Amino acid sequence: VKIFVIGAGQVGATIVDALHDEHELTVLDLDEERLAALSQRYDIHTVEGNGASRRVLSDAGVAAADLLIACTSRDESNIVSAMICKAVAPRTTTIVRTTNPEYLDVWREGQLDVDFIVSSEVETAQAISRTIRVPAARQTDVFAEGQVQLVEFDVSGAADPRLLGVPLRQAELPPDSRLAAIIRGDKMVFPRGDETIEVGDRIVVIGSPEAAQAWGELIEPGTGTVTDVVVFGAGRAGTAVARVLLEQGIGVRLIEASLERARLVAADLPDARVYHATGLDPDFLERERIADAQVAIFAMREDVKNHFAAALAKVHGARFTVAIVHDASSVEVFERTGIDVTVNPRQVTAEEIVRFAHDPRTQQVSMLEGDRYEVLDITTRPGSEFVGLAFKDMPIRGSFIGAIVRDGRAVFPRGDETLRPGDRAIIFTESRRVPEVEKAL
Amino acid sequence: VNQIARGGRSHRPPLLAVDVTGALHIVGTLIAYLSASTLIPAVVALGYDESPWPFLVAGAVAGGIGIGVASVTRGDHRLGVREGFLVVALTWLVAAALGALPYVLSGDPQLDRPVDAYFEGMSGFSTTGGSVVPDVEALPHGLAIWRQFTQWLGGIGIIVLALAVLPRLRVGGRQLLEHEMPGPEIETLTTRIRDTARRVWTLYIGLTVVLFGLLLVLGLTGIDDEMSPYQAFAHALTTIPTAGFSTRGDSVEGFAHSTQWVILVFMILGGVNFALMYRAIVRRQPRVAARDQELQLYLALLLVGAAVIVAEIWTEDVVSGLDGLRVGMFTAVSTMTTTGFSVADYNAWPTLAVMTIVGLMFVGGSAGSTTGSVKVVRHLLVGKLLRREIDQTLHPEIVLPVRLNRRVVEERTLRAVLAFVLLYIGIFVVGAIVLAIDAARSGLDLSAFDAVSVSASMLANVGPAFGVGGPLGSFEPFSDFSTLVMTALMWLGRLEIIPIIVLLSRHYWRNA
Repeated sequence: VKIFVIGAGQVGATIVDALHDEHELTVLDLDEERLAALSQRYDIHTVEGNGASRRVLSDAGVAAADLLIACTSRDESNIVSAMICKAVAPRTTTIVRTTNPEYLDVWREGQLDVDFIVSSEVETAQAISRTIRVPAARQTDVFAEGQVQLVEFDVSGAADPRLLGVPLRQAELPPDSRLAAIIRGDKMVFPRGDETIEVGDRIVVIGSPEAAQAWGELIEPGTGTVTDVVVFGAGRAGTAVARVLLEQGIGVRLIEASLERARLVAADLPDARVYHATGLDPDFLERERIADAQVAIFAMREDVKNHFAAALAKVHGARFTVAIVHDASSVEVFERTGIDVTVNPRQVTAEEIVRFAHDPRTQQVSMLEGDRYEVLDITTRPGSEFVGLAFKDMPIRGSFIGAIVRDGRAVFPRGDETLRPGDRAIIFTESRRVPEVEKAL
Repeated sequence: VNQIARGGRSHRPPLLAVDVTGALHIVGTLIAYLSASTLIPAVVALGYDESPWPFLVAGAVAGGIGIGVASVTRGDHRLGVREGFLVVALTWLVAAALGALPYVLSGDPQLDRPVDAYFEGMSGFSTTGGSVVPDVEALPHGLAIWRQFTQWLGGIGIIVLALAVLPRLRVGGRQLLEHEMPGPEIETLTTRIRDTARRVWTLYIGLTVVLFGLLLVLGLTGIDDEMSPYQAFAHALTTIPTAGFSTRGDSVEGFAHSTQWVILVFMILGGVNFALMYRAIVRRQPRVAARDQELQLYLALLLVGAAVIVAEIWTEDVVSGLDGLRVGMFTAVSTMTTTGFSVADYNAWPTLAVMTIVGLMFVGGSAGSTTGSVKVVRHLLVGKLLRREIDQTLHPEIVLPVRLNRRVVEERTLRAVLAFVLLYIGIFVVGAIVLAIDAARSGLDLSAFDAVSVSASMLANVGPAFGVGGPLGSFEPFSDFSTLVMTALMWLGRLEIIPIIVLLSRHYWRNA
C-alpha cells in the first residue's frame, strides 16, 4: 500500500517505524535534517516541502497514494493537506492528527471532509482513563470500541485469598472475562483448570470493562472503583482527561495555575471542582487533602513541572500517580523515580493512527512485555479451520481467544460456544505465532 | 508651545457632563404622548354624565407642557447611558404629576390636596396600589377609571423599563435578564425601547383583554352579581400590571369566589417575566419557560408562602375549609406579586401568617415583570453567592462560577445584585424609621411594626400594609411629610433604586 506521511516529528517517526516494513512510504516535511535522519534508518522516500501545498503534494505523486496521514503539530496545516489530497485524489483515505478537540466535534458532525481524525488530547485522555479505571492494573488496552478490555496485573500478597493458590476451575472469577495467560518468570503458562495463580505471577485478563474492575478488586482489594481524581493542569490535555472521567461519573478536582484559564474551565465543566493554585504549595496540598485522592494525574505543559509536582504529591502521600510526558526520552526518568504510569501523547496518537493504517482484517494490535506477546483483533474468514469448532475443543498452541465480537456486541465465550465466520476474535498470542494465528483464522 | 496651550484653553468643557436638555427633550415627548391617555377617563365621565373637563384640561396642560419642553429642547443631543438615568428618574416623577392633575382639577374633596393627589398619581404609575382615598366608592366614575388606567399605563412602562432600559443602564446587573427581548445585539436605546414595546405590548394587551372577557362572562352569566362591565374593565386594568387599585372599598372581597380565583391566576401571570412569557406563548417555546430557574423558584415560593398562611389560618381557626384555602392563597399571591388586592382584613391574623405576609413583600415576582420588590432572581443569585462564600471559606483556592440557567453569571452582575439588595434593605430601614418618628410627631397611631410594614409595602410597590394602611384602610391619616416619604419610597422601589442613587453622585454630573 502506498502511504503518504506528512510531518516527520515524533508522531511521524513512530508511524514510519511501525509501517515501513509492509508499506511503501513517502514522508514530507519542511525540515531537511529530520527527513535525512529518517531516511537513514528506514527504506522510505522523502520529499522536502510544504505538505499543505498542492503543488508539492501533486509533484510528490499524492494522486497514486492509498492513504495520507497528516501528522504535523499544526492542526490547520494537517486539515489543509487532507483537503487538498481529497481534491487531487478523491479515493485516497485521509487521516488527520489534531490537538484541538473542537475539530473532532466538527468532524463527527460530518462537516470536515476527512476520513479519520485522531485527537492527541482525546486519545491521551482515554488512555489515562483506561489506566485509572483499574488502578491495580499494570497495563490496559481496549478493543471493539471499548467493549473489551485487556488488563495485565502483577499478583502480590495483597491479592484476595480466594484467588491465590486455588485451582482455576474452583475459583470464583468475575463473569464476562477470561484469564488469557499467566506469565511466570520468563515462561508463559496457559490457564488450564488445574492451574493456580501464585504471588509473583503476572496475569493477563480479557473481559468487559466491569469485569476488569472486578479483577482489579480481586488483585488489590480496596482499589475497585475510582471516585476521586485530582488533575494538575487544566490545559487542553487536563480538561480532556477531566471531561472523559466526569462522563464516567468519576469526581474530578482540577488544579490550574492561571486564574483566567481556571475560570474558563470552571465555566466549561460544571461538575468539576476547579482550584486556582500551582499545586506546588505544600499548604494547599495538605489543606485540600490532595493525597487522599485515589489518583493524581499530572497534565501540565512542561515535563519538568509535572515531574516535580508528581514527586511532591508522592511526598505528601499520593498513592497512584499518572503523568503525561511530552518528551519520549523523559518517560524513563518518570518511571524510575516512582511515577506509576506515564502516557506520551505523541506515542498514543501514533499508535492510534497505526492501528487504523494496519491490515484491514487485523483491526488492532497491542503489545505486551515489550513485544513478546501481542493481542490481535482478527475477523474470522469463512474458510478458517476453526469455524464451527467449540472453544473447549480448540488446540492450545500458544494462543488464546479472550473474546469475540459478534454483530457489534462483545461475547466472552464459554467452552461449548462455537466460532462462526465473521466473528471478530480478540486473541492473545506470543509474537512469533502471529502469522500462524492470522493464517489459521 | 504657548500657542498650542492657549488654543487648548479656548475649548471650554461643558458645564455638565450630562446632556440635560437632551433628557428633557425625551421626557417632554413622552409626556406629550402620555397626555392623550386622559381621553379615556373623559369618555367614561361623559358616559356617566360627569364632567370630562378635569381630564381634558389636564391632558391639554400636560400635552402643552410636553410639546413645549420638547420643542424648546430640540437639537443635536448626545443621548447615552448617562442621559438614560435622568430620563428614567424624571419620567416617573412627571408621569405621577400628570396622574395627579385630574384629581386636583376635579376638586374632589378626597383627592384635591396636591400632596395627596401626587401620592395617588405615583401609586398609580408605579403600580403600587396604596391609596389616600378613604372612601373609593364615593369617587366619580371618571376619576376612579383614571386611577385604574394610570396603573395599566404604568405597567407597560415598567415592562419596557425592565426589559429594554434598565439592562442597558446596567442596573442591578444587565445579565439578570436571561431572556432579554430577542433582537439584534447592537441597537440604540431608542430602537430597543421601540422594539421591546412593540413585542410586549400585544402580549400585555392580550392578557388584559382575556381577563376582561373572563370577568365580563362571570358577570353576564350571573356567576358574579357584583361584576358589572364597568367593574370588569376597572379590575382587568389593574391585575396584569400587578397594581392593585380597586374601585371598591373592600377591594375584591365582595366579588364571587370564582372571580377571585380568576384574578389570582392572572396575578401569578403578571409576576412572570414578560420576555419569557413572550417566548413561551408567542414563540411557542414552552420548554424554555419550564427550565427557567427563576420561574421555578417563583412558583415554589408562591406555593410555600401560600401553604404557610393557609396552614396558619386553618389551625388558628381564622377561616376554615375551602374559604381558608382561597383567602390564604389569594393573600400570599397578591402580596408576593406586589399586587395588593385583598379578600380579607389580615390585620388580625395570627403572628406566623402576618410575618409571612411581610416576608413575602420582600420577595416580589420575576425580573422583567410588573412586580416590584427585590425580585426572585436576585434572591436566587444571593443564595448561590452565599453558598459559594461558604464553600470558599473552606477551600480558598476554589474557582466557582455562579450559574443561572446553566449560564455563568458575570462577577460584575453578582456585585450589582448584592449592592442592590443592600441598598434596598438600607432604604427600607430608613423609610421605616422616618415613618415611625413622623407618626409619633404627628400623633398618628402607628406601631413600630406598622411602620415597618408600610415602608416594606411602599418600597416593594405592594400597596396595603398593616395598621391604618391595612387592606381596608387608607393612607389618608398620614401627615403630608409621611405621604411624601411614602411617595419617594414608591418611586425608588419602582425604578430599582440605582438610577436615582446614581443622580446623587458628583461624578454623574461632572467629568472631573
